[in-house]
Amino acid sequence: MKKTYLASLLILAVASGAAQADRLDDIKKAGVLRVAAFDSNPPFGFVDAKTKRIVGLDVDYAQELAKKLNVKLELVPTNPANRIPLLTANKVDVVLANFTITEERAKQVNFSIPYFASGQQFLAKKGTLSSPDQLGKLRIGVDKGTTNEIVLREKYPSATLVAYDDTPFAFTALRNGNVQAITQDGPKLVGLLANVPDKEKYEIPPFSISDDLIGAGIPKGEARLTAFVSETLVELEANGRAQQIYDAWFGPNSKTPLKRIFRIGDGKK
Amino acid sequence: MDFTVVADNFGYFMLGAWPAGPLGGAALTLLLSLASALASGALGLVLGVGLSMLDGAPRRALFLFLAFFRAVPVIMLIFWTYFLLPILFGVGVPGVATVVVALSLIGGAYLAHSVHAGILSLPAGQWQAGMALGMGRWQVMRLVVLPQALPVMVPSFINQWVALVKDTSLAYVIGVGELSFVATQVSNREMVYPTEIFLFVAFVYYLLCVALERAAFAVGRRYAAPAR
Repeated sequence: MKKTYLASLLILAVASGAAQADRLDDIKKAGVLRVAAFDSNPPFGFVDAKTKRIVGLDVDYAQELAKKLNVKLELVPTNPANRIPLLTANKVDVVLANFTITEERAKQVNFSIPYFASGQQFLAKKGTLSSPDQLGKLRIGVDKGTTNEIVLREKYPSATLVAYDDTPFAFTALRNGNVQAITQDGPKLVGLLANVPDKEKYEIPPFSISDDLIGAGIPKGEARLTAFVSETLVELEANGRAQQIYDAWFGPNSKTPLKRIFRIGDGKK
Repeated sequence: MDFTVVADNFGYFMLGAWPAGPLGGAALTLLLSLASALASGALGLVLGVGLSMLDGAPRRALFLFLAFFRAVPVIMLIFWTYFLLPILFGVGVPGVATVVVALSLIGGAYLAHSVHAGILSLPAGQWQAGMALGMGRWQVMRLVVLPQALPVMVPSFINQWVALVKDTSLAYVIGVGELSFVATQVSNREMVYPTEIFLFVAFVYYLLCVALERAAFAVGRRYAAPAR
């Protein structure tokens, strides 16, 4: 499985970059905006039990984009590892799936300006983990194809890493004692823990080992579409909609209250 | 164990988001299985007869073709068809079609060899008798050999189709919402019921496979040569 992914990604990376017609025009002509979103990561993207549709913070942003373009929104479920292939294979127009902006990824896809910020944190059974110094000695569950995996390997090479398809799988491994901790972006872990019935047994130790900015992924070279997404994000912050979206999922009355530390347009770099 | 999680999401497991969204769950698994079973069966029959009837270069080409599809892992064929064809040739194949094509090609390649073996299992006397009556090779195949060989092949076909039903779960890799994919979504949302959910999923696959086996045997018996 892993080899399949790696081999395929390699070929995708080599084969990508072919010139295409302007995607923004294509979207308007088709009347459909195809967005890849997580289907298993509350509150960013998950299947709502009642409506059976994918909902979440990322999906709200996708809806705003479709609304502004005046087109229909089509959501494509994705896991972390499929995000870049979906873009390079022209299966989606935009990826809104807690996608950390990195230089390495920017070689294969375009990124909008960031709309969310987080740091890489850990989730463990209470009393297992209190300081980053312990990480080197632990078995840690990571999600395949995430920056978390790469950062952890670089900073703590002596840690034993076990890669899973998605965060809930990693959490199941943690529950069953296959790993001693799992790592992901802090807000994603908070969102995960909120849905665990026996959450008092677990904790997210208050340290992080990276600062990540989250942006929308767009096919490489689509400058107009990238500019459109970035402009829309700035507008959403200016008219207060971005704050509304944040509050709906992370506000004081939500399941996962979390102080908003980042506003769209902050710390341009 | 608390199976209320299964009861609460039963509709989603069976039909996915349908009718509000696309068909998914067990219904999609069934559709994927039926389509690939029919296509792989037809393909296996045609190619298996081809293996028995062709000579020389065409036969070698067919052997290579079959060897390729028997050697490629299903998951890889699905992944590559879905993500690579658009990049290399600009052809976009939808997810559901990708899965059916991949399963049909691979299942068909396996079945071709079963069909070929079934044909070989008949004594040469059957061929000679047919020829002695003035029939051509294709006539012997159609009128004498296949009616006797096909019932022998039924267990091989069922084997292959049962494997195929379970292989539809590999569609998860490209996000096609069949049974195991939607079950994973629910399991990931509910977090603490993987045992209950996946026991139920295994049970549904079991029911599908048993139903298939029963149906195929019933059909096979109906067309079997009368007992001597």
